[in-house]
Amino acid sequence: MNAGMGFHLSHFQSMLLFALLISIAFGFLSRRRPIDRVKYIVWSLFLFLLIGVGIGWAMYPFSR
Amino acid sequence: MADEVAALAARPQDTRRETVAFVIGVAGWLVPGLGHALMKMWGRAAACFLTVGLLVILGAGMRGNVFSSSGNDAFDSLGYLADLGTGTFYLLARSLETGGADVSHAGGDYGTRFLATAGVLNLLAALHAYEAARGRKA
Repeated sequence: MNAGMGFHLSHFQSMLLFALLISIAFGFLSRRRPIDRVKYIVWSLFLFLLIGVGIGWAMYPFSR
Repeated sequence: MADEVAALAARPQDTRRETVAFVIGVAGWLVPGLGHALMKMWGRAAACFLTVGLLVILGAGMRGNVFSSSGNDAFDSLGYLADLGTGTFYLLARSLETGGADVSHAGGDYGTRFLATAGVLNLLAALHAYEAARGRKA
């Protein structure tokens, strides 16, 4: 990542940031108690990454 | 009879509540998190403002496509609608992306998704604020 409004992120960094931000937003919107929010955010982030990496590996045989 | 009287008495309040809820929903769309802030839901307000703001800044910084109203096809129009979901942050995205979009690289493509997601997420948050103002969600 560099300054001057030009972010250069890898695929994984982009996916991680995306998953983290969406998980936080969903956690705050859908749960009320702080502990429930934390649990939801962690679980959602884990599933985002698991499914994202899983789909990535599933596409790997077709990438060449 | 008693039910009808009660229903008639409740109508002005319901109308006022609907109006307030609508204003809160529109405020939440225009400025991410403002709808929740007006209802003193500070945590949700901060979360909406920061997540939508960060997605917009990252999306524009990665040179994602900020769609305009002069789209060439249906996908451009849908992208424009999604981007408009960020409310005033749409103007922020346009002002940040001075160099124009660059979707020839993966970063730019990710940026386009970040911007569209920010818009849809903000619409969801505004709808949540509207429903909460109507007393349907906590």
